[in-house]
Amino acid sequence: MPIEVLLVEDSPGDVRLTQEAFRDANRSIHLHVASDGVEAMAFLRHEGAHVHAPRPDLILLDLNLPKMDGREVLAHIKGDDSLKTIPTIILTTSAAEADIVKSYQLHANCYLCKPVQFDEFASLVKSINDFWLTKVKLPQRQSG
Amino acid sequence: MLPTGNKDAEKHLAQMEGRYRGLLEAAPDAMVVVNQGGEIVLLNLQAEKQFGYRRDELIGQKVKNIIPEGFAERLVADGLRSAADALAQQIGTGIELIGRRKNGSEFPIEIMLSPLESAEGILVTAAIRDISLRKKAEAHLLQKVEELNRSNEELEQFASFASHDLQEPLRMVASYTQLLSKRYKGKLDSDADEFIAFAVDGASRMQRLIQDLLAYSRVGTRGKDLLATASEDALQHALINLRGAIEESGALVTHDLLPTVLADEMQLIQLFQNLVGNAIKYQSPGVPRVHISAARNGRKKWVFSVQDNGLGIDSQYFEKIFGMFQRLHKRDKFAGTGIGLAICKKIVERHGGSISVESKPGQGSTFRFALAGS
Repeated sequence: MPIEVLLVEDSPGDVRLTQEAFRDANRSIHLHVASDGVEAMAFLRHEGAHVHAPRPDLILLDLNLPKMDGREVLAHIKGDDSLKTIPTIILTTSAAEADIVKSYQLHANCYLCKPVQFDEFASLVKSINDFWLTKVKLPQRQSG
Repeated sequence: MLPTGNKDAEKHLAQMEGRYRGLLEAAPDAMVVVNQGGEIVLLNLQAEKQFGYRRDELIGQKVKNIIPEGFAERLVADGLRSAADALAQQIGTGIELIGRRKNGSEFPIEIMLSPLESAEGILVTAAIRDISLRKKAEAHLLQKVEELNRSNEELEQFASFASHDLQEPLRMVASYTQLLSKRYKGKLDSDADEFIAFAVDGASRMQRLIQDLLAYSRVGTRGKDLLATASEDALQHALINLRGAIEESGALVTHDLLPTVLADEMQLIQLFQNLVGNAIKYQSPGVPRVHISAARNGRKKWVFSVQDNGLGIDSQYFEKIFGMFQRLHKRDKFAGTGIGLAICKKIVERHGGSISVESKPGQGSTFRFALAGS
């Protein structure tokens, strides 16, 4: 069964990099992309164009997004009983202590900084795959 | 020589009185003598000039007329102490008040009080200094400090911009050239491989330069207050950060007992880390050895030495190496942007000290810097 991952990221360059990195790490991953917070919530709530969207096994969330920023999206996800069990990983360029603290306060499952070099980024994505999608036990997918 | 008769005694007294009056008149500060009722009984020429009154206009007037507030309180406070106590304590205890001239204008003054025993009871002599100029200079200084703070804030904003917004497009260039290299290496011609390699290298170097520039500017903008810091703990912390480099090079790092100093702890750790890191990096064949020690210099300073048995430095470069982005070696021999020692220099100077090096090529180097003891 394919693994469904939702990537919430507004930079097309970063989206493509993440796709390439996941392709190298694990070919059975379906990577879905939402380019802002509003689209992300619509995907998760099966609204509008996303009425048939699968429930993601993992969410990768950037913090700085247009319309609704990542912190708000995180708050919505972890405040929603039907969504909060989905592991949500913050994947951002910001290393600011304030952002790290806020994210954990909003119950992010973990916080990762995007490395500057691509091979480090690829290695990080591989680590995410090895840990969250291979070793970690996730709840069985229920119909949302 | 003691006077012998009554007439001589009177003459002597008159002479002394004349002498003291002369002293009073010649005093550079305004001198005003006040009795226990708060009335002015004596004043000098300077007092007339400062306050714009004629002498006869002030004698018998309340001192409150020229010093509206604060004098009476001080008088009471001093009255509560014995004359001896008051005298003993008065040196250096000038207080700032406001003086009022005859024309009603006010100006800042500093007064020093001393009690005077007399036949009429305890009198208080007030030496009054016009500190308008000093106050103006203080205000000017304050303004300069505010400007400096504003400038620092701007620098911080620029640094923040450089870190986030500049890094972003740079990350795209760096990442995609690396991807190109990965995906197409050997699939295009060798020229393409070489072009891509140069692009990848250039982007990586630019990233490191920006990060180093940020680190350099943050020495000032993110510096913390200097507090009592155990320099030995700071060194240990730096060595933990360097453990990879130490293990890889098999370096032997030793140190003497190190003192408590006034420092910003994070910056002290950075300082040790840069110096010890360099000592290990620029090694000569054999086991790299680094020794850190500190010696007292006078009552309040400690001079630290970081000594190594590495490559050494030619004396013509002793100043250059502390410049920003200055390197003595080709890029492929030793990694690094050349900012490390510039950061060390900035940190040491921020702590009020200076940094220098003693070295001979082939004979290792000793870097020395001074910090204030705690």
